Amino acid sequence: MSLLALLQTVSSWAPIVFIRDSKYGMPAVQSFHLLGLTMLLATVVALNLRLVRLALSDYGLSRVAGQLKPWTLGAIILVISSGLLIFLATPRKYVDSHPFRLKMLLLCGALFFHFAVLRRFTAADSVAPPRPVGFLVACLSLTLWFGVGWAGRAIAFIP
Amino acid sequence: MSLFDWCQWLQHTRFATTITESDWLFPLIEGSHILTLPISVGMILIADLRLLGLAFCSETTGRIVPSFLRLSRIGFPIMFLTGGLLFVTQAGKAYANPFFRTKMIFLLLAAINAAVYQKLFFPKMADWDSGRGAPPGAKFCAVFSLALWVGVIVCGRTMAYQF
Repeated sequence: MSLLALLQTVSSWAPIVFIRDSKYGMPAVQSFHLLGLTMLLATVVALNLRLVRLALSDYGLSRVAGQLKPWTLGAIILVISSGLLIFLATPRKYVDSHPFRLKMLLLCGALFFHFAVLRRFTAADSVAPPRPVGFLVACLSLTLWFGVGWAGRAIAFIP
Repeated sequence: MSLFDWCQWLQHTRFATTITESDWLFPLIEGSHILTLPISVGMILIADLRLLGLAFCSETTGRIVPSFLRLSRIGFPIMFLTGGLLFVTQAGKAYANPFFRTKMIFLLLAAINAAVYQKLFFPKMADWDSGRGAPPGAKFCAVFSLALWVGVIVCGRTMAYQF
């Protein structure tokens, strides 16, 4: 079965049809997506500002990271699951969309950078990076995550 | 001139139509409004969660909550500016939109809730840390704040489906 045929099968599955066709289905799922985005980026911003000592500098970096971690992970699960529902409910809007492809690319980059690079600097046994390195890491992390958001907004405006 | 007439007039001013007709101004303002959510509402949510003992429990309330409230002050001016501009471009349509009206009521209640918190609990926060944490009244404010801000986001997103 081709990918497109598989998508069509899934998007005609009853719960997905319910989300797409009920009056408040899509707004509800979109609201969850937005709530997840708010929480996810809030924790990412807080962690990066702590990394470069622009905020929360009274608290240890690994402690701040540890406290934010469950909320970041929870928010990632919320944005991805709601995003998947939005995609499956209206796949035609996304399969050929250039901003959507960019968004997925940036999302992979952001997730990789968060767990493979940023976490290395914020783990309990890590040494705080020199200031310029911290700034570079924070800039890359914020650019990737906010890039995901902007690319997501662009889906509505650019084909 | 009724409020509705004024909204209609506002939406058709040269200023509003310049934004609406521009290829990039409206998307830029709307995108900024949405992507400032984490730096405004998001920071308030984290502060509320701390008051409820659900996040940052290892840190003292009296110090960590003000840190997050300070961060939210970066975002809120941008929220009000971009939100105001979005309203100007769609004032006539927003006027009758039930979700827009609900969002405004929630925002008003959130402001009152924040003012009450500021007056009653903020000055005493330093005393909480030796004891059991925030008193029930402060926790009630936090629950109310969480519910209102979630409501603001839900109404804000849903109103766009009715335009």
